[in-house]
Amino acid sequence: MKREEVARRLINVMARELGKKPDQIKNEHHFAHDLEADSLKSIELVAAFEEEFDIEVNEEDALKVQTVGGAVDFFDKLLK
Amino acid sequence: MSLNPLKDVPEPNLIKDIFPYSLPPIIRFEGKIKEIIDGREVEFDPESVIERDIHITDTTFRDGQQSRPPYSKDQMTRIFEMLSRLGGKKGVIRQTEFFLYTQNDRETVDACRNLGLKYPEVTGWIRANIGDFRLVKEMGLKETGMLTSCSDYHIFYKQKQTRREAMDQYLQVVEAALEEGIRPRCHLEDVTRADLKGFVVPFVQRLEKLTENQPDHLKVKIRLCDTMGFGISFPNTAEPRSIPKLIWRMKEECGITEDRLEWHGHNDFHKVHINGAGAWIFGVNAVNTTLFGFGERTGNPPLEGALVELISLKEDLMGIDLKMVTEIAEYYQKEIGAAIPSNYPFAGRDFNTTRAGIHAGGLRRNEEIYNIFDTAKLLDRPPRVAITDKSGTDGVAMWVNDFLGLEGEKRLTLMKVAKIQRWVMDQYEKEGRLTAISDREIEEQVKLHFPDLYERSKNRRK
Repeated sequence: MKREEVARRLINVMARELGKKPDQIKNEHHFAHDLEADSLKSIELVAAFEEEFDIEVNEEDALKVQTVGGAVDFFDKLLK
Repeated sequence: MSLNPLKDVPEPNLIKDIFPYSLPPIIRFEGKIKEIIDGREVEFDPESVIERDIHITDTTFRDGQQSRPPYSKDQMTRIFEMLSRLGGKKGVIRQTEFFLYTQNDRETVDACRNLGLKYPEVTGWIRANIGDFRLVKEMGLKETGMLTSCSDYHIFYKQKQTRREAMDQYLQVVEAALEEGIRPRCHLEDVTRADLKGFVVPFVQRLEKLTENQPDHLKVKIRLCDTMGFGISFPNTAEPRSIPKLIWRMKEECGITEDRLEWHGHNDFHKVHINGAGAWIFGVNAVNTTLFGFGERTGNPPLEGALVELISLKEDLMGIDLKMVTEIAEYYQKEIGAAIPSNYPFAGRDFNTTRAGIHAGGLRRNEEIYNIFDTAKLLDRPPRVAITDKSGTDGVAMWVNDFLGLEGEKRLTLMKVAKIQRWVMDQYEKEGRLTAISDREIEEQVKLHFPDLYERSKNRRK
């Protein structure tokens, strides 16, 4: 899967989970500071990403990711 | 001030010699304790507890029963048998004492003795008058405690006697016991509020004189009764509240050896356990306790706390079966109907239950972070989490994994239980709930979100 496809699907999931439009979510956005995702919402996001790509991720590694761009990097690497 | 260099280490230093986890944390001493008595310095060697025969005596059926409705004979017999298993074959719970005043008391003594257990030994308790002594004789006991009140509060105001009259009466009963071949154990009631030099020491010296030529099994025992919880175990406290000074006078000025000295406390100032443990350190061999600290007013030293303390001091289980604490606590709550506070150490429902998400997170990673010792192995009580709005997804994950019995790689991640945590938070944020989530409610959530795992775990839970 190409990186662009990974990013598009991730942002769609984020938009759905966070109640935003996809074009409101930028690569540099910080989940906690810019997108107001608290600790439970962060876990729910990772759970939704897992469901989207039908994979299971390492909990500690996934929850260290703090930005949208970081999430794209993380899943792009994982899905290669 | 020069800065000490940081020792950055590749592996954690868990200080396992003090915190072995397989045992309660170890208590070690580094040097002697100094106390000023009559203007001169005396020393106590706390390390002596390793070699000394420190042990527990029990008064669950005497002082413990003064705080509650009477136990039935069957209940007492069952508790007696459980005490025996708890204290083990080395007799760490060495003795337990009984009232002898009612038919039920006497029948219970017989029933307990008929169990044929070596420990705890059965002893009696009477008021210090000759008439009551007949009860001990009829029951054929080898030892009895007798009330010998020491403070002027008791002698003057309760007994309406002079010190001379009180002492003569006490000595008379002790002589009667000796004549019958029964060991006297004098309970120095209210000793932490008594005139030590003017009454207590002269009285105990006379007691010692009475039995100095007796064989060892008849020599007088002294129970130091901190009746109102006034005793203080801090070093260099003024008399009569000082526990170390009191013990020192008993040993050095009265000649009472450590094997004949016992501490009995009350919890009126929240000092009951540490004063008992302190008494061991300062030189008595026996600490008198009750199960769960039940006793007159605020209670006595809790037996289970004393056991854990003894293990910590001895660095050894000493044959104690701590799992019996859990069995006895269940018996008290289910069969006797006694209430043990949920946060009560070692026995309360929630003593090792966390409600804090940050602690639950620690427990998930390594239970040693937030569990005092291996409570699963020693007490049959693994650490738990209770679910509230503060327990976090970590708390839910731990609860669910423990409930389903999942280990290692099979344990569910935070992501897998996120839906249950969202339900928990909605209870508080949307429904305005103020109470903890019950185990039953979480179980229902597990059934809803993990039906296959729930079914598979059923057999394990049966």
